[in-house]
Amino acid sequence: MSDSTAVNAKGIWKIFNEGQANEVTALQEVDLTVDQGEFISLIGPSGCGKSTLLRVIADLTDATKGELTVAGLSVHEARKQQRYGIAFQQAALFDWRTVRRNIELPLELAGWDKAKRKERALELLEMVQLSDFAEHRPWELSGGMQQRVAIARSLAVDPPLLLMDEPFGALDEMTRERMQNELLRIRLETGKSIIFVTHSIPEAVYLSDRVVVMSPRPGRITDVINVNLGDRNEDTRESEAFFESVTAVREALRGRTGNSGSSIRARVGEV
Amino acid sequence: MTQTAVVTSATPSRTSNASRRFKRGVISVLWALGGVAIAILMWELVKWVGTLVSLPFDSGDGTMPHVWTIVDAFSQPEVRGSDTTVLQAVVASAAHSLLIAAGGFIIGVSVGLLLAIIMQRFSFMERGLLPFVIASQTVPLIALAPLIVGIGNRISFGPVQWNTTYSVMFIAAYLAFFPLSVGALRGLHSPTPTSLELMRSYAATPRQMLFRLRFPSSLPYLVPALKVSAAAAIIGTVVAEISTGVKGGIGRLIIEYAREASSNPAKVYVAVLGALVLGLVAAGLVTALDLYLTRNLPKEGKA
Repeated sequence: MSDSTAVNAKGIWKIFNEGQANEVTALQEVDLTVDQGEFISLIGPSGCGKSTLLRVIADLTDATKGELTVAGLSVHEARKQQRYGIAFQQAALFDWRTVRRNIELPLELAGWDKAKRKERALELLEMVQLSDFAEHRPWELSGGMQQRVAIARSLAVDPPLLLMDEPFGALDEMTRERMQNELLRIRLETGKSIIFVTHSIPEAVYLSDRVVVMSPRPGRITDVINVNLGDRNEDTRESEAFFESVTAVREALRGRTGNSGSSIRARVGEV
Repeated sequence: MTQTAVVTSATPSRTSNASRRFKRGVISVLWALGGVAIAILMWELVKWVGTLVSLPFDSGDGTMPHVWTIVDAFSQPEVRGSDTTVLQAVVASAAHSLLIAAGGFIIGVSVGLLLAIIMQRFSFMERGLLPFVIASQTVPLIALAPLIVGIGNRISFGPVQWNTTYSVMFIAAYLAFFPLSVGALRGLHSPTPTSLELMRSYAATPRQMLFRLRFPSSLPYLVPALKVSAAAAIIGTVVAEISTGVKGGIGRLIIEYAREASSNPAKVYVAVLGALVLGLVAAGLVTALDLYLTRNLPKEGKA
């Protein structure tokens, strides 16, 4: 496909323990196209394969079958060239490095020189509003601050794509909402494409252009719901349109609309 | 701001931290001295009770000399008419043993670390090698020591002749490598799956994986392993010195002084005390190394 797509997945299958008694089909015939600059959420119950799909895109595990490109490259090449940044539920910062040196880690591995690394890390710390904590150790920071460092680290090499696996899952509700706003601001500033895995319906709706609904056993995409909320602000969370989209996603998760998803998309479009 | 509040409460200012650490240090020294004092009192108490009732063991001066007799023994000349005192002899031989143990420790730690890295990197090596590593420690040292010395004495590299001291060092290394390789192996396996995936996402090479993630992650496991290895190196040295009778070390001194037990019972304790202090010095050195290695990691009670 063309280079304008951030991610292009066609007919992806992931089967664990293939041919054995404990064979599990984690992904079945998954098609997903993410345009440049688009924000996509993957939502679904535990075991629906949303994290697996993210890990396949990240080339952290191989797809059993299917075609997949990231920024027009094979997933392997994309990983080699650090064409995506990744953030997990655990911030996974290294205790023995300062906050700044944690952000420099991907730059070190990409072979940047010391002065440029430092400059870039300080720039990113400013973006996530943690400039004062550059020389602190990660364990001196709160959970939300650690997660912001992790996001800064995922942006370090300025990759076009961000992969996020429940990055706010371990945070309290208030911190979580603040982080969501922060993420949207960063996205606005950087124009990244983002694939965001979450359990939370309001989070998915608030953040995304499209919510991809998945169901388990076997893991597959059952619905794709467009969200048209325009520019987000605190009022968005209480708007009629927001609740309509939340309801649409919830019903899709319950499987009320069957597998087509077309009727729901039409309804959301009307709002 | 709330953010600042979080951080200031987590890291108290350096000065108050330092003064608190100093106070804690003084207190622990006082405790240690108190412990020694109690041990001395108990010793004398047992001897005093022994004069009143009959104990199931001999508490007389021939077996349990008075503390002051032992202290006095340090200042005696080592052999009648010689210039060197017992204290000088004990210190010199303890220092000699410490050097051998340090050599064994360094060799053992290097080999142990190397083995751990190989075993971590190749799981078939772990399956194949680990049983041998464990089996190596089930062979009694006493049986092994003369064997190693016997083989060693027949080795010569051209003009360089094998020295029995090398055999002692080898035995120390043989004991020291084991705790380290097992501890390091656990440590190298310790990074969380998330950290490993993070490094994979950066396409990190195996070398970068080792030096930037696995090795620093293993420090909390490595440090206690180093302590056990240091103790093992000391024990290995002293036992090897005793069983081979090699001259110069504290092990030999223990045998020599034990021979004088009937005429000068205090001397036996003098040599044993020397070995004890040797162990303490080794433990202190490793603790200093520990403080250096973990200087960047969260301390207990902090964070």
